[in-house]
Parts: sequence; structure tokens; C-alpha cells
Amino acid sequence: MSSVDIEAIKNQLGLEINAVNSSQGLEELRIKYLGRKGLISQLTGMIPGLPQEERAAFGQKANALKNKTLSLIEEKQRSLGQVSAVEEFSGLDIGLPAIVQDLGRLHPLTQIIDEICAVFVRLGFSVVEGPEIETEYNNFTGLNIPLEHPSRDAFDTFYLKPSNNTNDQRPTTSDRLLLRSHTSPVQIRAMKSQKPPLAVVVPGRVYRPDAVDASHSFMFHQIEGFMVDKGIRFSDLKGVLEAFAKAVFGEDIKMRFRPHFFPFTEPSAEVDISCIICKGKGCSVCGRKGWLEVLGAGMIHPNVFKHVGYNAREYTGFAFGMGVERIAMLKYGINDIRLFFENDLRFLRQF
Amino acid sequence: MKVTYNWLKDFVEITLSPQELADKLTMAGLEVTGLDNHGGDPVFEIEITSNRPDWLSVAGIAREIAAITKSKLRAYSVERIAYRKKLSAIRYPLSAKTIKISIEDRKDCPLYTANLIQGTKVKQAPDWMRQRLESVGCRSINNIVDITNYILFSLGEPLHAFDLDKIVRRSPVAGRQLDIIIRRAKKGEELVTIDGEKRTLSEDILVIAADEITGRQADRRQGTGKPIAIAGIIGGKDTEVDENTRNVLLEAAIFNPLLTRRARQALGVQTESSYRFERGVDPGMVQVASESASELILEHASAECFAFFSSGTAAIKKRQILLDAESAQKNLGITIGPTQIKSILTRLGFTVQVKEKRKMQVVVPSFRIDVAQEVDLIEELARIRGYENIPPTLPKTCLKAADHKKDLLAFTKDILVGLGLQEVITYSLVDRESLRGLCADRAPEVLNPLSKDQEVLRTTLAPGLLTCVSRNLNQQELYVAIFETAKRFVLTDKNVPGEELMLGIALCGARPRFVADGLIKDKMSILHLKGITEVLFERLGISDHLLQIGPAGAVTVKIKGEDIGAIFEAKKDILERWDIKNKEVFILEISLEKVFASARTEKKFKPLPLYPAITRDISLVIKEDLLAGDILTAVRLNAPSLLAEVKIADFYKGRQIPPGYKGLTVSCAYRSAERTLTEEEIAPLHASICGILQDRFGAKIR
Repeated sequence: MSSVDIEAIKNQLGLEINAVNSSQGLEELRIKYLGRKGLISQLTGMIPGLPQEERAAFGQKANALKNKTLSLIEEKQRSLGQVSAVEEFSGLDIGLPAIVQDLGRLHPLTQIIDEICAVFVRLGFSVVEGPEIETEYNNFTGLNIPLEHPSRDAFDTFYLKPSNNTNDQRPTTSDRLLLRSHTSPVQIRAMKSQKPPLAVVVPGRVYRPDAVDASHSFMFHQIEGFMVDKGIRFSDLKGVLEAFAKAVFGEDIKMRFRPHFFPFTEPSAEVDISCIICKGKGCSVCGRKGWLEVLGAGMIHPNVFKHVGYNAREYTGFAFGMGVERIAMLKYGINDIRLFFENDLRFLRQF
Repeated sequence: MKVTYNWLKDFVEITLSPQELADKLTMAGLEVTGLDNHGGDPVFEIEITSNRPDWLSVAGIAREIAAITKSKLRAYSVERIAYRKKLSAIRYPLSAKTIKISIEDRKDCPLYTANLIQGTKVKQAPDWMRQRLESVGCRSINNIVDITNYILFSLGEPLHAFDLDKIVRRSPVAGRQLDIIIRRAKKGEELVTIDGEKRTLSEDILVIAADEITGRQADRRQGTGKPIAIAGIIGGKDTEVDENTRNVLLEAAIFNPLLTRRARQALGVQTESSYRFERGVDPGMVQVASESASELILEHASAECFAFFSSGTAAIKKRQILLDAESAQKNLGITIGPTQIKSILTRLGFTVQVKEKRKMQVVVPSFRIDVAQEVDLIEELARIRGYENIPPTLPKTCLKAADHKKDLLAFTKDILVGLGLQEVITYSLVDRESLRGLCADRAPEVLNPLSKDQEVLRTTLAPGLLTCVSRNLNQQELYVAIFETAKRFVLTDKNVPGEELMLGIALCGARPRFVADGLIKDKMSILHLKGITEVLFERLGISDHLLQIGPAGAVTVKIKGEDIGAIFEAKKDILERWDIKNKEVFILEISLEKVFASARTEKKFKPLPLYPAITRDISLVIKEDLLAGDILTAVRLNAPSLLAEVKIADFYKGRQIPPGYKGLTVSCAYRSAERTLTEEEIAPLHASICGILQDRFGAKIR
């Protein structure tokens, strides 16, 4: 054997080690080269039989080959991973169905409500809920909505049949019961039961006798929020709602406040976000305006404070309200509000 | 409300393009929802909020534009009108003595005016006027009616033109007096209105009545006359202006907003006139509007002259409000001083007098019925200065502890989702029929449902769940596992409606599951609902719970002995109501309020056992009607002290088990706290347990 043979063995080793794809194959290769009767010990065993002057050079080459083999095997071992821990198998078909216990899903409206409330909770708000059957007082009068006023038209309301118990006194108008037409009555409840500072968000179901179509439902969800303390300003309302819009719709969202009228706030605003479909350029979703109305808001009216027994000279506050379905429809691109209440699993599984 | 660009320009100088103007209006609270072109004149569709009736006219919007753009309002001239009035007073054959206006109650009608116009020729209104009216969606009728509408849109004061000769019925003769009476209708009184409808009136409706009285009759007690119009809403057919009208009685008045609203609702007729009276018309505009219209009638209907009569007063006490610049700054979070405040408010028609330091006395003009207190003025400042110019800030946060109940609800939903259930949201209002057989509680009824599907509030979540199951089975779903957390509503014994937060679950079909050997179909059953309840209760820290088979076959769910709900399989005839056939539906409904009241989510560590347990299984066969729960209880009660745990490790029926019997594997774990137990120690204990099972239950141990 000569140095030429050593080169040949080295080349062969390179080819063979590339072909190895299991630890078993690598072990066979190790025995073939480095075993007691392996190729390399055969080489070193030949050294005594060589002429004196060749021994040193040949020995070095054989040794280099041995080191090379060791390092290649080690490298291969690493590339095969924790080779020793993996059970060898055959016949796996990774295309077969997975075996798993699948999770259910929260309704998309729940997901949106949770997401929005979480934003406000991070800002220091607490989440409160209120009853769905309300008094006319909490739903209207306490919120500075006069009993007979055109502003009531916007809040068309389901009333409950008065009790027919003859012993009962005929209920006065304020005691009449109704299904809340907005989540704002929780303002009255919260403020009557607690003193400022107050920062609350109220998610919940609301009801209005609207004929059902793609954009109307007689039952839907709102999130109401309000904050009352000394020194709360309109500018704070803007800051809080901008933080909300950025968290829910993304950092690039623009927001604008337009003067509007709500009986329970003064000054009042309608709040638009830049259209999330066309980014404000104008499209069919935003009616070519580039803006989408998402919120009503304002500074809580002093008359509301009067109703709950707060001193309007001492405290100020803001309130806002939004329709959850509308936000979900915008965010997910849903075009029919009825889908939320049909509960088709093919719809629900998309969220 | 619609308004055109050129019409506005009659009242105010505008240098902005229509689109720029639309943007400015929107940002000032007059939201422009549409901008079209009608015959070369841009038409703005503007949403007017209910608090601003002063914007329901071209003049009102023009005033706003002048304030926003700091441009000049064009003076609206009345001098010419005054001159004509003098002239006409002389020439008109009906002298001032011949018409008498009586207002029954000044609260219903604070001001009523009538302009008598002589010698009209009814024809088409001039083209420019018809075009403008059509631009804002008002149909052209004839010159007289069009002029009243033109003034209504221009100045916001509704007018009504009567054919005077149809009221008086004969040509005016000296010595006759026309009585115009503004009074409540008598019950059952009738009037055919301009739209041809015969309307039956009531005492809640204000009418204009007319009575013609001869000289001698005038001495007698005043009559009540015949209705000729429903005040502020719609005129009578009998007295309407037609092509032969030669003399006109032109009405301009102020009617009570509330009364108008109620009458409009009762009669179900809404007009441009009622829309404005309901919201409030400026008394200061009544005479101007009437005279402006008369002026136009003189010009475009060739009338000869007119005479003005009135009763009541246009004068109202103007509100005065003290405004502190400090309050404005504090409320808005901006810097604003008295000079800027005065400039803004003056442009809007307020009169401002600066008092000591930063305080101002503000007089509210008659057309701003919405401004009652300081904060209303602050809104005006913010609005005209621009909401966009208020910088966003963040308030100091008020930290409050989270609501415990809400946390539990979210936690519960997460557990259910983790168990593979899909959340649904269904309607709280249902058809009464859907509750039949599912809940015996009385449901609160809705007074004004739109349809039968909304007639009651649901007393149970089951109908909503069944609707979902049915719908999804129809979509070829083979497996439906859903839950809802929502309120149920009940009428209590005292007829007071109450609400309770519930959890409802419905399971139907078989859950397809892959195991190593392939697909198995996990057929839903009551035991699946048992499993869900147990996991839920365990995670909520509720240990003292029990499922008890009730007399009707339903399983009662109890916590600490109290009923909190039930698990049941829906009867076939109930399922048929939802078109569910050949399927079993399992339903759970429990009160989350009661569950949460018992929830203990705080954790306490128990030391781990020091010594290993020895487990012995007993495979036994018992009669089918014996209950596994009774066996476990018996074993527990008679257990030797070393029995740490006993449970059913398996259950089976089938070929190896004789008919009428079932197989159970009872698994017993023995453990000592002091030492490692030995086989020898366990053997007698285990034998005694086997003995109990044999003796008490006749179990055959295999």
C-alpha cells in the first residue's frame, strides 16, 4: 500500500459518509474505518513493514486520515441530531390525519369585546356589566334625554309589558321597564353607586326595534366607556380614544373628531377612523369619504352629573360608546350583520 | 336636509369650492353626507342633529358658514316689505276689523299671524324657484304653494296658504268678520287633509278653525268654527289653494313642539312643517317670513296687496349665561382667552359682554334654543375653533381592582373552548312557542315587538342552542358542540322581571377523533356533559357538587345541595319543532351566577405523599340497574383507613357480559402516610372490599 492508496481511501470515505443517513449506517462506517480491524488500523499495521525513510511520512498521512475520519464522523453525528435518542422506524406516512384534541373557539364578537376591553384595562379602566332590562329613568331621563323629544327617536326602544298585578300602583313613566337601547345606563348605575375617580368600560347586549337586514339587527352589542375625576378634559378623551384606535386598528390609523349631538354629552363628537380598507383614499366601504364612523363620544353633560348627585363644578368626565358588530365587520371584512347570530360553524371557525 | 351652493350664496359670501365647503361643514358638526349636482348647482345633503333646528334653513346654514369662514352675511332686506304693507293696508277691502285671531291657549300657540293677500293669479312658479325646490327634493305645485315652501327652506319658518274665499265662501263684504280660532280639536272631529286622507282628530291635536260671523252674530258668544288645518302639520283639502284662488290667507305661526310631535305621531303624518315645529321654530322669524312670502306673491302671482294680522307675541325672554374662560380651558384642555371667545360667539349671533377679568355675560339669540348653560357655549368654542385643534393628552389613570365576576366568566369561556366547544351568540328575544316544554317559568313580554319572533324574553337558552344545532345539521355538520353564556329572564311571583347569567351547552352527533388505529366516532351522551361540568367545577375550585337523576329523567346539577341547573336529552317531539330528526341532542343549562358564587380559585398546596400507593383493580359484573355511584359510595363508606382513592377505571357491556348485566372495573389505591405498604398488608383489606361488593351488590368478581 502507498500514499496513493491513502488518497483513494480518503475519497471513498468522503463519498460513503455523505451517503449515510442513519446512526446505524454511521456506526457501520465507523467500524469499517476505525474499528480494530478497520481500514485505518490496517494502514498503521503496515508501517513496520515499510522502508525506514518512508515510515515517518506514511505514518503522518495515516494519522491525518484517522483524524479526518474522526472529525467527519463527529460532524455527521451532529448533523443527524441527537442521533442516539431517536427510535429508528419505517413506514411513517406524515400525510395521514393528525391526532389531536382540537380547541373550540370564542365567538368573533367575544374576541373583539375582549380585545377592546383589554386595551382599556391596560389604560386603567375596569370592566363592569349591567342589566339588560332597564328603567326608563336609567336609559333616558338620567342621561338627560327628555321623555318627549326628537332625540328619543334615535333610541327607538323595546318596552316590557307592564305588570298586570292589580295591587301594584300604576308605574310612573320613569319606572317603566324596557330593554336597554344602549349601554349608557350603566353610567348612571356606576356613578350612583361609586364616587369618583371612576374609569369603567361596559360591554353588553342592547336592543332596538330595527327590522333585520344586512346592516341592522334588533339585538347587537355595544361597549360604553367613561372616566370621571377632577380635571378630566376633552383633550384626554382624544388621547384615550386615539390610543384605543391604534391598539385595535394599527399604529397607522388616523382619527378625527366631528362635532355632533348627544343629550348626555356636551361637547359631543362623532369619531371617525381613516378607512381601513382604502387607507383614506375613498372606496365603497367608506362611501368614498375615506373615513369610517366608529364611535360617539363627549364630555359628560352636567345634567347627568346632577342626576347622579355629582358636583359638576368639581368633577368633569368623558364618555364614549361604540357598536361592537360594526367594528368586527370592519376589522374582519364581514358584510352581513346576521352572520353573527346565525352561528353557522363554517363562519365561526374562521375566527 | 338639502341645500344648494347658489342658494347659500344668496345669504353669504362663499369663496370655498363646494368640496372645501362640504369638508368645513362636516368638521363643524353639519355632516355633509352627499354632494351632487343639480342643473349646474351643487347640492349638499346635510345631516342636521336634532338639537339644531336653526340649521333647518338656508339662512341658518349660511349663518354658520359666515361664522366658520369669517365671511359676511348678506343683509336680508325687509324695508321694501314694510313699504308694501303700508300701501296694502289702505287698499285691502278687508279692514283690520274684519279678521279676528283667537288663540285658545298661548302654551299651544304663542304666536299666530295671518297675511291676507288679494288678487293672486295662480300659475307656475318662476323656473329658478322651481329648479331650486326640485334640487332640495320638493315637488313644484303652483306659484303660491311653491313660494311658501321656498320661504320654508330659505328661512326655516313653515307657512301655510289657505284659499281665503273657500274659508269665507262668499266674496268679502264689509261688516263680515272672519274668526280664526286656534284650539284643540274636539274628540271625533274630522278633517280631510290635503293628501286626501280623512282624519279623525282628538283633544291632543291642535287645529286651526275658521268661523264666518255676520255683524249681528258677532255680538253673540264666540263660536268654535270648523277645522281648516292641523296646526303645524298639514292643511285641509277644502281650503287648499288651486288654480282659481284669487285671495289667500297666509299663515305663519309658532306651535308647541311637544304638541306637534304627539299629533304627528298620532296621525302618522310627517311634513317639512311638522319636522321644524317639533324641533322649534324661531319666533323672531315669523313676521319676516310671512312678509317675505307675501312680497314674493306680489311679485310672482301678480297680487295687488296684502294686510298683516297677528295675535300672541314674538317676544321671548332671552337667556343670559355667565361664561368663564377658565372653565372653557379646563373642560377642553386648550388655551383660549376672552378676545377669541368673544369673536367666535359674536360671529354665531351671541352678544358678549366681558365682565371682570376672564368672565363674560353672554346673551343667547332667539334661534339658539339648544344653548342653556355654560357648557353649551364651551361646545360652540370647541366647534368653531375646530375639534382637530385640540391636542390629544392622556389622563392620569385611576386604578381600580378588576371585577371578580367578569374574570370568572372569561375563565369559564376559556375552559369550555379548551374542551373543544364553540361559542355561539343567539337572540334574547324569542317566539313564546319556542319555550314550550323547555321551561315552565313565566317569560317577560315585550310591549312592542316587530314580529312574533321577538314577543318574549327567553327563560332558557335552550331554544337558541337548538336553533344553532338545527341550522348546522342542515349544513351537513355531523358533530355540533356549542355553548352560550347569556342572560335568561323570568317574571317573578310579584311580576317583577329578573335576569340571571346562564351557561347553555348543546351536544349533538359524534365527534370524529383519530387514534393510532384510525378514526373512531365519539358519540355524544349525557356523560360528555358530566365530563364538561366536572372539569369546569374542578377548575373553578368547586368540590361539593352532585349530579342527581330527577323524576323526569333530567339530571339535576347541584352545588352544596342547591339546584343550579340541569342536564338532559331533548325529547323527540321538541327536536321536531326544530326539524331535527334521527338525532340526539344533549343539553346542559346551569346558572353561572350560582356557580360563580361558589367558586374558589385561590389555591392551597397539599404536601405530596411520601410513600408510594399500591393499586388493585376489581373487575366485576353487576346487574344493569345498579348504579356505579352507589358502588363507589359503599366502598368509600366502608373503606379501611388505608384506601386513598377509589374510582371506576372502566365500564363495558357486550359479548362477555350476560344480558341484563354490566361490567365495571373498580380501581382501589392504598397508601399509608407513615410507611411503604406491603402486599401482605393490603390483601385482607382488599378482600373485605370485594366482600362488600359481593354481599351488598351481588357482584360477580372476575
